[in-house]
Amino acid sequence: MSVVPDSTTEPAAAGPEVRPSPTRGRGLALRAAPLLVLFLLLAAVPLFVAPFTANTLSRILIFALFAVSLDLLVGITGLPSLGHAAYFGIGAYTAGLVSIHWTSEAPVPVLLAAAAGAVAAAATGWLAVRSGGVYFLMLTLAMGELVHQLAQRLTGVTGGSNGLFGIPSVRVGGEPLTLAGLLYWYVLAIALLGFVGLWLVAHSPFGSTLKGIRDNEPRMRSLGYSPFRYKFVAFAIAGGFAGLAGGLFAGLVRIVNPTDTGFTTSALILLAVVLGGAGTLWGPVLGAAVVVLVRDTFGPQLDGHGPLLLGVVFVVAVYVLPRGFAGLAGLATRRRRAPGGAA
Amino acid sequence: MAPPFLARRRLTTTFGAGALALTLAACGGGSLGGDDGGSDGGGDGGGTVRVGLVIPQAGVYTPLGEDMQQGWDLFLDQNDGMFGDYEVETVIADEGESPDTGVPAVQRLLTEDSVDAMVGIVNSATALGVAEQVTEAEIPLIVANAGAEAITQDAASPYVWRSSFTNQQIAAAMGTYLGEEGVGPVYVMAPDYAAGQEVVEGFIEAYEAAGGTVAGQALTPFGTTQDFQPFLSGVQSSGAAATFVFYAGGEAVSYVQQYDQFGLKDSIPLYGSGFLTEGSVLDAQGESAVGVRTTLHYSTEIDNEANAAFVEAYQAAYDELPTTYAVQAYDAANVLDRALADVDEVSGPAIAEALEGVGEIDDSPRGPWSFTNQTPEQHIYLREVADEGGTLLNTVVQDLGVQPQP
Amino acid sequence: MAGWFDANLVSILNGFAIGSLLFILAVGLSIVFGMMDVLNLAHGAFFLVGSYLAVTFVAGESWAGFFTALGVAALVGLLAGGALAGLTEPLARRPILDQALLTLGISLIVAEVLSIIYGNDVFSVPEPPALAGSVSVAGSAYPTYRLMLIAVGLVLALVVWLVVEKTSIGALVRASVADREMVSAMGIDNRKVKFAVLGVGSLLATVAGVLAAPVYGARPGLDKTILLLALVVIVIGGLGSIRGALVGALVIGQVESLGRALVPDYASFILFGTLALVLIVRPRGLFAGKVAH
Repeated sequence: MSVVPDSTTEPAAAGPEVRPSPTRGRGLALRAAPLLVLFLLLAAVPLFVAPFTANTLSRILIFALFAVSLDLLVGITGLPSLGHAAYFGIGAYTAGLVSIHWTSEAPVPVLLAAAAGAVAAAATGWLAVRSGGVYFLMLTLAMGELVHQLAQRLTGVTGGSNGLFGIPSVRVGGEPLTLAGLLYWYVLAIALLGFVGLWLVAHSPFGSTLKGIRDNEPRMRSLGYSPFRYKFVAFAIAGGFAGLAGGLFAGLVRIVNPTDTGFTTSALILLAVVLGGAGTLWGPVLGAAVVVLVRDTFGPQLDGHGPLLLGVVFVVAVYVLPRGFAGLAGLATRRRRAPGGAA
Repeated sequence: MAPPFLARRRLTTTFGAGALALTLAACGGGSLGGDDGGSDGGGDGGGTVRVGLVIPQAGVYTPLGEDMQQGWDLFLDQNDGMFGDYEVETVIADEGESPDTGVPAVQRLLTEDSVDAMVGIVNSATALGVAEQVTEAEIPLIVANAGAEAITQDAASPYVWRSSFTNQQIAAAMGTYLGEEGVGPVYVMAPDYAAGQEVVEGFIEAYEAAGGTVAGQALTPFGTTQDFQPFLSGVQSSGAAATFVFYAGGEAVSYVQQYDQFGLKDSIPLYGSGFLTEGSVLDAQGESAVGVRTTLHYSTEIDNEANAAFVEAYQAAYDELPTTYAVQAYDAANVLDRALADVDEVSGPAIAEALEGVGEIDDSPRGPWSFTNQTPEQHIYLREVADEGGTLLNTVVQDLGVQPQP
Repeated sequence: MAGWFDANLVSILNGFAIGSLLFILAVGLSIVFGMMDVLNLAHGAFFLVGSYLAVTFVAGESWAGFFTALGVAALVGLLAGGALAGLTEPLARRPILDQALLTLGISLIVAEVLSIIYGNDVFSVPEPPALAGSVSVAGSAYPTYRLMLIAVGLVLALVVWLVVEKTSIGALVRASVADREMVSAMGIDNRKVKFAVLGVGSLLATVAGVLAAPVYGARPGLDKTILLLALVVIVIGGLGSIRGALVGALVIGQVESLGRALVPDYASFILFGTLALVLIVRPRGLFAGKVAH
């Protein structure tokens, strides 16, 4: 977390961070312990909580992975996509169809889902990444809506608006994972691999170049980089991880419907990224958790006032958390960093 | 309006304490054990049955949810809040607009709230999405609106029942009627989504079998079409002698009004699936709707004793006319009442088994009906909108008889 | 060719009516974004406020009710816009997505408050007396009210054009679109301009809601549909350009009317297909509006 959060809000302030800062190694060691504790806590969850809570946590993990994949575009590359659900949905449909017609043996459906997401993102991304800002937002929205309409129309394949139902349980070694706790472990394992993958991409030299393009595209171009090529690859990677999340989703809820590819899902996940703090990778995890809890867990018990609660959360967050949840930690980090004058 | 047995307190307990309570409340169990849902709800609980009512409380389907809740509440009011010898505890969950909210709502009822039975569900995708889960949990679900045929066919299970209709059932009745009447070529229109497609298929199949010819058809963008002019000009140029459509909610209002404004109403009679003119949309359509003919399994104007008593009680309680959505929930309650009169203990499997034996529902406002393949085999009525002293009503033109399941 | 034209005359005419309506509902969004860099996702919700005000005040067919609704809607719009100006001021230096979070939050709250006040039923609103009913156009009936919408749209477009091109306020507007810092350097209070612009922009949304009510009615969920339509219109034309909003509205009006009449089987794809096509060919809209963020 040493370099990213500050530069998202003041794009002109800092140049591209092409080399990792020397403090990173020490920071890594310091962070390893809490991460291990967090991992153990997450892994122990099914021993203590009821099935519904385990399901809710699985859902949060999946949407968190989806949000982090979008953050690679929004926060790291500076491309705000309003059509990211298209690749999530394509992944979900792929995993669902593979499970129904071929095999639900892990990890085949999710790997194919990730591949489908990446291929679909590559097929559309070369058109999308040529624009930027609000135009990129709207172009991705249009592409997402076209995918949504296709899902609605291709009744024979997707089941149309009735959804793709009858998806069999995920199997591991031939055994179906019917218990919520086992399914949670499966989701946790794949989602963690996804998080690690995205973290590695964002912190690789490739990721640094993306940040450079985000902060100062002309400069990167004059240094000999091709922004188009980098943005395109980032778009395809983000689509792949969104497809992975979609594949997990199909295995969890066992129904995929066109809404999962459409505007509402895209907008919610984009707002989850903003709510968490774009560009930090871990902030969107919290953003996704809040969105899932408000919309799917508490919302249905509010006599129909779920959307109101969501609206209030968004408005309050804008003022209370100016940099998303990540901003809270950002405060602490800055204080620590200030005397040393790093970065 | 909200009878005391509605368990509002859940809202404060769960939400007030937040996620922590959600986690800790369940601490004993863990989520790796076998199934513990459902069987602990009743039996020894001193004669209560806990029913989950899953209805849309937010989103475009909310008016249907309100009607369903009123129908449900009315039946309980009339029966002292009892099904058989068991006191009913209703747990309400918001279905929302899509399975994204509906499926978790059902999951919560199954696991956290350990209900013994569930009623409701407007959206077919949500019903299909939970069919397998209710089967695994062995908790009967009585679908009180969703009309996709697959719910009781492809997704059939001993635990999935339906007190409403199938999309094709209603459309086929009109298809047969128009075909036999020989009205001339018919133009067919519906929104471009699963239910619309099922209605179009069901109508055309029955209509052509009865000797009719189709002048043309159009599927309009679902949920976002406000302006039907481009499609109406297609109707005009097709040389159709009549139009058959399936729309509901906001689209039904726009369609019927614009059909009048663009001058088609007088030259090409409008027929539809009953939802076109059902409930609050009829008031919004106003005079434009007068003369529109539809088929449905219910109308407030059906002439039988049960219906007269039902309409009167409903009006007294809510100061408005009942709708088919209210009847579907009312009948779901009736069916559960009959089933629970037959069980020795409150459990999902026992209720599901008792549902097999309920036989004919002879005191339903819609007229007698019975389950065939767990979905109603029922009379379908030909209705016509009429203005009676300033109130728009769906008068019954003809009883088209019992419509078998496709 | 003549035969084709005759057959589709009503659809073309209707395209102009819908285009006019789209212009009225989108121009405010475009002005606000162009001048103040505020992407107001509550525009659709403000529109719906106008529609519900029409439900309240237009009882039966009467001009008095219609004008009352317009007046109240204008006032409510001004106030809402002013409030939004105040709310977005602290966000001026933050990424545009933060504004999206705020305004979408506001729009969820407004929609929910409307559903608490008016319930969730669908309402229709009668036209003013002289405009009820239909007239004959090329042998087919056409609703009179929609013809009036074409006139209102033209007048509004003319007024906006005159104000922007011929007045000192217009000069300020153009200067703000081009370079906001420059304008504040000239000693003009940027905040006052912002209040005025957001007020007028939101007023246009609520007034459009009233004007559209006899065509679209009022119902939950309409706000989202309208917001998406308005966004498509201003993006196709080019953000921040009034000429762009007008052309975008006319293009989408024809796409939604003539386009759907010609290829009804692909009606579901045609709106966003057009948007995607335009942005692929012209990545910054037809009139290459201002550089977005």
